[in-house]
Amino acid sequence: MFIELLFLTSALLTVGSAIGAAVTRNIMHSCVFLLGSLLGIAGLYATLGADFVAVSQIMVYVGGVVILMLFAVMLTGGKDFVSRAQNLLGLAPAMGNKWTYTIGLLTALVVVLTNVKLITNVVKAYPAKVIGNDFPSTVNQIGHLLVKEHVLAFELSSVLLLGALVGAAIIARPRRQG
Amino acid sequence: MNQTIVSYLSQYEFYDVLLNLFGNNQGLLAFAIYLIVALVVVGFCATVGGLGTYAERKISADLQARMGPNRVGPYGLLQFLADGVKMLTKEDIMPYTADKFLFYLAPLLALVGVFATLAVLPWSSGFMMADLNVGVFYLIAISSLVGLAVFLGGYASNSKWSMLGGMRGASQIISYEIPVTLSVLAITLLAGGMSFGTILSHQEGTIVNWFIFHNPFAFIAFFVYGIGAMAETNRAPFDLPEAESELVSGYHTEYTGLRFGFFALAEYIEVFVVCGVGTALFLGGGNLPFNISIDIIPTQFAQVVIFVTKTCLLYYVVIWARWTLPRLRVDQLMSVCWKYLTPIAIFNLVGCAIWLVMFNGKSLADLVFGSH
Repeated sequence: MFIELLFLTSALLTVGSAIGAAVTRNIMHSCVFLLGSLLGIAGLYATLGADFVAVSQIMVYVGGVVILMLFAVMLTGGKDFVSRAQNLLGLAPAMGNKWTYTIGLLTALVVVLTNVKLITNVVKAYPAKVIGNDFPSTVNQIGHLLVKEHVLAFELSSVLLLGALVGAAIIARPRRQG
Repeated sequence: MNQTIVSYLSQYEFYDVLLNLFGNNQGLLAFAIYLIVALVVVGFCATVGGLGTYAERKISADLQARMGPNRVGPYGLLQFLADGVKMLTKEDIMPYTADKFLFYLAPLLALVGVFATLAVLPWSSGFMMADLNVGVFYLIAISSLVGLAVFLGGYASNSKWSMLGGMRGASQIISYEIPVTLSVLAITLLAGGMSFGTILSHQEGTIVNWFIFHNPFAFIAFFVYGIGAMAETNRAPFDLPEAESELVSGYHTEYTGLRFGFFALAEYIEVFVVCGVGTALFLGGGNLPFNISIDIIPTQFAQVVIFVTKTCLLYYVVIWARWTLPRLRVDQLMSVCWKYLTPIAIFNLVGCAIWLVMFNGKSLADLVFGSH
């Protein structure tokens, strides 16, 4: 019962906040709605038993990305940055004309249908089964996977992050005169 | 698997009696237990937050050779209730140009972020609401909501003081999260797990088994954690977000009445929580001395008493630091974090890892007194 309740709450939070983020005209409110949506997704991960991923989601997005976005929005104009143009229904800020929306809708339909078609075959061919494992928790499992099987990808991504860090430091460094 | 208070209570006989009372509906009983425990914990922490304001005023008075509050109730103990009533009856003012939605949301987010951390706070080995496998990580992650609330509160007020306070608050909290997390990571390394249950079970026994005395690096990590935690909770000497001599009162300048009360309560409870986490990570938490391992309800309550006592001692140190140290400048604040604390924390983390490899996971006490 609780899993269902948790799922429903998280799903409603995710979808409701996503709609709110798209519909609101104030970009700061949009960011805060996005926060709700990301929290809802963390709840969905928790429902699936992926506790580590759920907490990482909160850590990365709530603690980092959303604050960064709020900073960026505020430094570039904050709430004065309100779009005046409206879409067809007069709800969301316009991001194109009716052709943009039509083509976007058609593309989304095609992508979704193709994926459903592909996934149905896979699911039919390999019926779901729970694979038992020897790990006491997901944390141990993720740790083992990261430093054993996927150690190359793990190290490469750390090099990438280091590159980003050095790049940011170079950009932010005060320029020498002359 | 994740241990919870329900799975702990289910080993006793009265759980079956309760189960019969609820018509063998496991889910409903679990919900009822969680509800009651959550109410008790939140109520207790709200009282601690209230008494925190009293303790703050009394201790500061002591340090400044004054009397402090002494009129309401015995020794002025009921002062915080009087303050609460005063806050409730104050007019709820909102600036005309404020961002209404965010202005209402920010204090709530602060409270939610703090109360959510209480879910994993280890009161005793059995009485934790949820002993998650990712306990410490969850706590660090969810408490970042407070930083967001500080920022949003500063932004939504549409006032320059608030804005500056909010900006300072957000940047300070994000910066100091790094040394704190690295210090916590060092302890995670020693314990071999992120759940508070694992961390506490490694510190059983006498005082030498506490992680603070495990090795010299852990000893330094405790102080890095302490300084970082003080900065994360916006306490002096790191209270730049609400520096009253320059920013009126920072991010909550425009807040009145109950909304201001929410911010204040969140701050005091957060101090209690970070002190509790420091106790659990470094100072042996609620473990009874000498491996007294009779697992009955009274020993659990004894553990709660020990945990709260240690936490309150740390709380005293936090208040003591506030009233004896001058406030840092912004540039000093950032250089303390990035030039000193973060490198020291990284050094500690590597040092702990090397220690574990070199001495096969033995603590300093094991090496000196001979291991068992």
